[in-house]
Amino acid sequence: MTDSKPSIDFSTVLASSVHDMKNSVGMLLASLENLIQETPPKNEEEAKRFTVLQYEASRINGELIQLLTLYRMDDSVLPVRVDQHYIIDVLEDQVARNHLLVETSEISMSLQCDEDLNWYYDIDLIGSVVHNVVLNCVRYTKSKIEISAEVEGEYLCITVADDGPGYPASMLQKPSGLLEDAADVNDGGTHLGLYFAEKIANLHTQHNLRGFIKLENGGSLGGGVFKLYIP
Amino acid sequence: MSRINYHKLSVLIADDFSSFRNTVNGMLLNLGVTNISMASNGEEVIEKCANTHFDVILCDYDLGPGRNGQHVLEELRFRNSITRRNIFIMVSAESSRNIVMSAYDCEPDDYLMKPITAMMLQQRMTRQLVQREVLNPAYQALDRGDLASASDCLIDLSLADNRYSVMAQKLLGQVFIEQGELQKAEKLYTRALEIRPLDWARLGLAKVKQIRGDLETAGDWLSKIVEENPLFLPAYDVLADNWEKKGNKKETQKAVERAVEVSPMSILRQKRLADVAQENGDIHAELEARRRTVRLGRLSCYGTFDDQLDYVRTVSVALNEGVSVSGDIQDEVKVMMQESQHKYGLGKTQVAQCHLLEGRVSANTGKEAQARLSLQQADDLMKNEKHIDAEIDRIELLLALGEEKQANFILRELKEHFSDTEEALEKLDKYLEEPASEVNRALVAKVNREGIDLYNGSQFDEALLCFDRAKKLFPKHVGLHLNIVQSLIGKLMLVPNDHDVIKECEAALADVDTLIDAGHSQHPRYLTLRNKIRDIIEEQI
Repeated sequence: MTDSKPSIDFSTVLASSVHDMKNSVGMLLASLENLIQETPPKNEEEAKRFTVLQYEASRINGELIQLLTLYRMDDSVLPVRVDQHYIIDVLEDQVARNHLLVETSEISMSLQCDEDLNWYYDIDLIGSVVHNVVLNCVRYTKSKIEISAEVEGEYLCITVADDGPGYPASMLQKPSGLLEDAADVNDGGTHLGLYFAEKIANLHTQHNLRGFIKLENGGSLGGGVFKLYIP
Repeated sequence: MSRINYHKLSVLIADDFSSFRNTVNGMLLNLGVTNISMASNGEEVIEKCANTHFDVILCDYDLGPGRNGQHVLEELRFRNSITRRNIFIMVSAESSRNIVMSAYDCEPDDYLMKPITAMMLQQRMTRQLVQREVLNPAYQALDRGDLASASDCLIDLSLADNRYSVMAQKLLGQVFIEQGELQKAEKLYTRALEIRPLDWARLGLAKVKQIRGDLETAGDWLSKIVEENPLFLPAYDVLADNWEKKGNKKETQKAVERAVEVSPMSILRQKRLADVAQENGDIHAELEARRRTVRLGRLSCYGTFDDQLDYVRTVSVALNEGVSVSGDIQDEVKVMMQESQHKYGLGKTQVAQCHLLEGRVSANTGKEAQARLSLQQADDLMKNEKHIDAEIDRIELLLALGEEKQANFILRELKEHFSDTEEALEKLDKYLEEPASEVNRALVAKVNREGIDLYNGSQFDEALLCFDRAKKLFPKHVGLHLNIVQSLIGKLMLVPNDHDVIKECEAALADVDTLIDAGHSQHPRYLTLRNKIRDIIEEQI
């Protein structure tokens, strides 16, 4: 007998359990949607509860997907499938995905994008970034979310703006990389979402250019503004 | 978005959960779709699609026990139950389409991630339906096999500069290649690459180079594609083809192995891996690939009875070579054979083959009595009928039992019996001293000529490679064996002290010794060569 235990690769264990959790949350979300359709909320109180349920479940789902994606990125099995896509498709998908949530929480969501605007990117990865940012806005905005896209020079810029209180000053200075800074974790979030967004943006390159993200306050709605740049 | 007339659509919903089917049904009814069918497992989908045309098939990836959504899609395409004109949308709880899709070879038209909402469903269906409408003339021409009309349609579409033009360009590239219009294909891919280094265009261009015979350039490009995007499966296939065309089986195997690593679920790649590993004499890789082929074949339309036989044959070879085979192999073989009798409804010859192969495994695991019983069972079934594949399995069983005399007797009979059947003779050649088929006679003659030329030019290593390759195909050919001995002698004269070469000489001589006796026509040559080696070695001492 020796003291050495068989070593387990903890990240693999985590990844596979995250995978299980994500599937469960997916089921939960689907049942929730059924429930809301079959027994619509009778009063404002009920509607609020549904919203909370749905929002939190979506958030867990989103975070788990991010974790899995980051794991795959680290394990270098994350494929980036860049192809030509129409921007309106990926943005409309995200509006549709969060349609019910937005409806029940009485937020108005608008989309501004030229129907013919197209660019080169991985539609699934960029879709999940936009999804996470929109979910985040649902939490902080007062009444409006605006998603837009346009070409700025060599980059495609996707913007998600809201009329909430905006991003705290500390985040504006360094949007990502906060993950390593343990002190910041206490202020309500790990900013895993932004770290994720930055990583995905970075994976998109063209010539010497690399994708990035940018946070601002103000914008057309006067709240937080998230910008995703893809070369 | 309003161009689609939902009232006219027929839609099939496939999911093992009734709650999900009902939810989607409700969403579709709200859109105005009335012609809706349901299926709760893979078999039902396949059955329904065989009899009915559905405009849209919404199929969950996870369909409970049995076949999953990808198996279903594969089979529908295999049976021609659906064409490009049907829209197949995979629905799954998996977060990444790549993880679900890259494991297989056929891609669905679209992919929807659960949980799905009514708005999502409408958007995606509408997008696909509009696209189908736009591309329909080209699809129809392709389904008719009318490449000329298809390329005319696609040229117009690909020049339109709208959201369908890239789709049209991808298809058009394939059509050009199929038409042999290499210059046009090359131009199309080059133009696409001017904008971005897109994988589909790089692969297309590599294919064009390959067809043109520029295997170097094609190989460089393909290696670069898989290095940059290790999950882009089609590139591995073309890369493997490229190595195969170059005659490098080792690298072919490596390319297929890498693809199989990315996509272990693809039965066709497992089969290819098994075959190329067999050619390379890599029994470990072959065994694993054949085992996986059989396992995947249980649910795949590409699974065949022959896969099972090939697996057992490989097991026998492995046992014979002393490779450890895990598990109770005899039991596994028995169960497998019973399963395949049930699944494939075997004929008499095939049942006999099952007995023979069971017997071969018994013989290889030291169960002689059982092996002889199996042989008897097969003989009772076949009586005097002769089927070449079953006969070869019989020969292998006899050899495994150590009955060489009887095996040789039967071989002579078979050579006579099949003297007019080239295909059967080709299969027999492996066991014969001299090939009996035209093709293999010519092949041996050619290889011998090449080898002898190399030998005469004192290129002994190259000559040995040449003879060795032929020896793999015709292990009983005495002339080839002696040519190997002679080439080794040539090598030994250059480096008389080399112990490795001396060992190789001795091994080669021992090989010949098992093949011939004193009465053999080549025996004198054998003695001469043996003495020569002795002289060289003694001179050294």
